Order: sequence, then C-alpha cells, then structure tokens
Amino acid sequence: MTEHVNTELPAYHEPSSSFAKEIELEPGGSGIMHCIQCGMCTASCMVANMTDRYRPRKLIQKILLGKREEVLTSELPWLCMTCRLCEERCQEDVDPTDIFTAVREIAAREGYIPAVFQNAIDKVLEDGWMLNDSYTDFEEDDRSDLGLDADLGWNTEFVKKIKKRYFKGGIEV
Amino acid sequence: MKEFVLYTGCTTPVRLPAYERAVHVVLEKLGIKLTTMKDANCCGAQYIESVSHTAFSAMCGRILALAESMDLDILAICGACSGSLKHVKHDLDSNEELRNEVNDILEEEGLKYTGTVQVKHLLQVFREDIGYDAIKSAVVNPYKDLRLAAHYGCHVTRPEEIVQVDDAENPTIIDRIIEAVGGTPVDYTGKTRCCGGPLLAMDDEVGNAIGRDKIENIRAENADGIVTACVFCDIQLTQVQFGEGASDKPKIPCMTLPQLLGPAIGIDSESLGIQLNKISPQAILEAH
Ligand code: SF4
Ligand code: SF4
Repeated sequence: MTEHVNTELPAYHEPSSSFAKEIELEPGGSGIMHCIQCGMCTASCMVANMTDRYRPRKLIQKILLGKREEVLTSELPWLCMTCRLCEERCQEDVDPTDIFTAVREIAAREGYIPAVFQNAIDKVLEDGWMLNDSYTDFEEDDRSDLGLDADLGWNTEFVKKIKKRYFKGGIEV
Repeated sequence: MKEFVLYTGCTTPVRLPAYERAVHVVLEKLGIKLTTMKDANCCGAQYIESVSHTAFSAMCGRILALAESMDLDILAICGACSGSLKHVKHDLDSNEELRNEVNDILEEEGLKYTGTVQVKHLLQVFREDIGYDAIKSAVVNPYKDLRLAAHYGCHVTRPEEIVQVDDAENPTIIDRIIEAVGGTPVDYTGKTRCCGGPLLAMDDEVGNAIGRDKIENIRAENADGIVTACVFCDIQLTQVQFGEGASDKPKIPCMTLPQLLGPAIGIDSESLGIQLNKISPQAILEAH
C-alpha cells in the first residue's frame, strides 16, 4: 500500500473585507486585532445573559471575518449597553464597547441608524438637551417646591452649530 | 472651602430633582460650595456619542470650557455625564487635532478648552474632598440595624483608568459611607453589573429583565434598601419594581447616596426631597 501524504497546505481563512482594519482606525477601535476570541466578554455580558440574540464575542468575530454589510445593517451593535464590564475583564485589552461604538458611527454615516437613536439625536440637536418635551409645569412645580431654580437655562444655540458642522438633516455626513 | 460648578445633566433636574436638591444641602453641610452651571448643553452621551465622536467631543468640550471660564472644577452627579466628560477630557488632552477642532467651534463664543479643568463624580468628592473621617464626625443621628446594598453605576466606575473613581472590580466608596452612617453594607451577586437602563431605548424587555435580576439578587441578601449614585440607575432600579413583570414581593426602596447621608448628619427628610421618592424609604428613616 502506498502511503498518502497530503501535500496541500491547510486552507487559510482570509477575511472577506478589510472591515476590521477600518474599525482599527476609528477612535477606540485600535485593539480589535488583539482579540483571541476567548469569550470572556460574552460570559460577562448581561445582555447576552438575557437574550440569545446578542453575543459580543460573535459580533467581534463577524467584524474580524470581514462581514461588513451584515454587521453595519444589523441591530446588534446597538444592543450593547456600554456597561464596560467586558472591557474591564478582557485580558487582551480589547474594548468591545468602543469597537461597537465605532461600528455605530460607520453605520450611521452610511444611513443605518435605529429610529429611537435618530429621534433622540434630532431632539438633542433641536433643543440643546434631551428632555425639553418632558419638562412641564408639573416638574417645574416640583423644583420650585424643593427650592430649586425652575429655569434650567439650557443653551440652544450651540447645537445649531454642531448640526451644521457635523450633521446634515440629522444623519452624520 | 472647596468649590465646584455642578453640571446637572439633562435628566436629574427633570426626573429626579430631589437628588439635585439633596446634593446641594448635603455638600453644603459638609463644607463644599456649589454653583450650578447655566447656559450649558447636553453632554451628548449615548446618542450623539454613538454617531459622531467629533460632535460628541465638541459638546462635552463646551461644558469643560464653560467650567474653565468660571475657574472651577466640575461636579457631575449622573453616571452618563461624568463618564462622558471624563472620556472627552481624556481624548482632548491626548489628541491635539481633536482639541484644535473643538476649540475652533468654541472660539466663536469666546470659550477655550486648555485642560486645566478637573471633572469629579459625586463619589470622588465624598472620598477625596470631604473624606470618610469628616463624614463620620458629622454624623449626629446614626442608623441602626439597617442592611443596605450599594449600586455604583457602570459609567461612574468604568473604565477605571479614565474615570479614576474607585476600584472598578470591587468598588467600596458607597459601602464605606453606609458604614460611616451606621448601616451594614451587604454584598450581593452581580454588584458591579449594569442596571439595564441604557438598553431601554433599544429593548425595554431585556433592559427591565436585567434590572429585575439585580433587584432579586439584592433581595436574596435581605437588604432594606438600595443606595445609588447615578440618576439613571436610581430611576431604573425603582421603576423595574413596578408594572408588568415586576415581582409581587415587597418593593425595596432606592435612595440616592446624599438622601441616605442627609438624615444621619441632621438634615430633615423634607429638605432632601425624600417625600418625592417613588418607593417610600420610611423604614430606613426610622431605623435609628
Ligand atoms: S474581546 Fe476580549 S474578552 Fe472578548 S473574545 Fe476578544 S479577547 Fe476575549
Ligand atoms: S459593554 Fe456591551 S458587550 Fe460589554 S458587557 Fe456591557 S452590554 Fe455586554
């Protein structure tokens, strides 16, 4: 019997795009290449604990594999609570929180942004602060009863400059 | 007397004004002077932060620069605000290009960020500027037989190297203050986990499940109350105890740290806005 020697090299997995490199250049994204896929982040994550939809390690894996479209159009990067428990525990100094924020920033640039985020962004850029619509006579009275100033004095002009400079119609350009 | 400018953030003044009030009266009694920042803008946490790092830096940068113009350090009482301001300060201090960009927008208003301002979360002021000994000696009406669970808040303590508040894995400031006022701090499973609040916008069911899990872990230790240091955490850990899916067991009152501290140092509960707390902490107030 002749011995079969496998002369073929093992198959290499090449990422299907340079998405991970793109993330690496974004603020906070620099650690992504150090991820060893240990899963400590998923083990620490309360969102993962409560729903099967979300697994931070898997999401990082998808980025490393280059699945750009799939990640950018998915709700997953927006499910991170940014609690940074995983970041505190990651032994490779990867910041999953900042990585997902970088993903969100790129997704927003390309027009993928969940409606709740878009609405909140529009509000802040319109009013200068988050809760203008919720601040009614009722809350004003509570403040006055507590001896606090009912006039909150928020600046509304600065956000107009922010909007003009960094956003067009609410979505970042 | 140490003086700070208080940046209230968007949420405390509207949703939890009693916290703002309690911060004022308690810090004043412990020798800290506060001025409230006016003409401020939202820090941009979570929402602007998610879509433009530069716009977010400009929004926090303006708040930092306003404080510089007043020549005062900032006191932040919300986890999201303190985390954002500290993060952006860190970025502005280490990234000249970003600093120039931010200063370019601020210039029109005559503001400039140079980096002299410090940002402190309330917990730091208690530990660093007042100190545990001063708190202990201010106590005139200590609590007795009271088991309290501290909830620190993710953005208050993490990432440790940037926010520099406490040991992120084993924070102790709230616990030490609970001790200082005569209470017994209790540990519980998942103490440093999130309250679930930041997830409410995207998935309130999962966000609330996370909050309720924390409540049940606290209940398992027979705690009489929860002590918080962030407006979002306080509201979240309160509201998950109501409505559909909430446990039918007795509710566990949440109090912000200055509301717990106040009565022990001789401030009446009305001045601390405790009558507005959604779950009455009467049993805590009577535990002397
Ligand atoms: S991000 Fe860190 S914790 Fe998560 S899988 Fe990669 S190396 Fe492990
Ligand atoms: S920061 Fe995001 S991914 Fe990490 S543990 Fe928290 S929710 Fe999970």
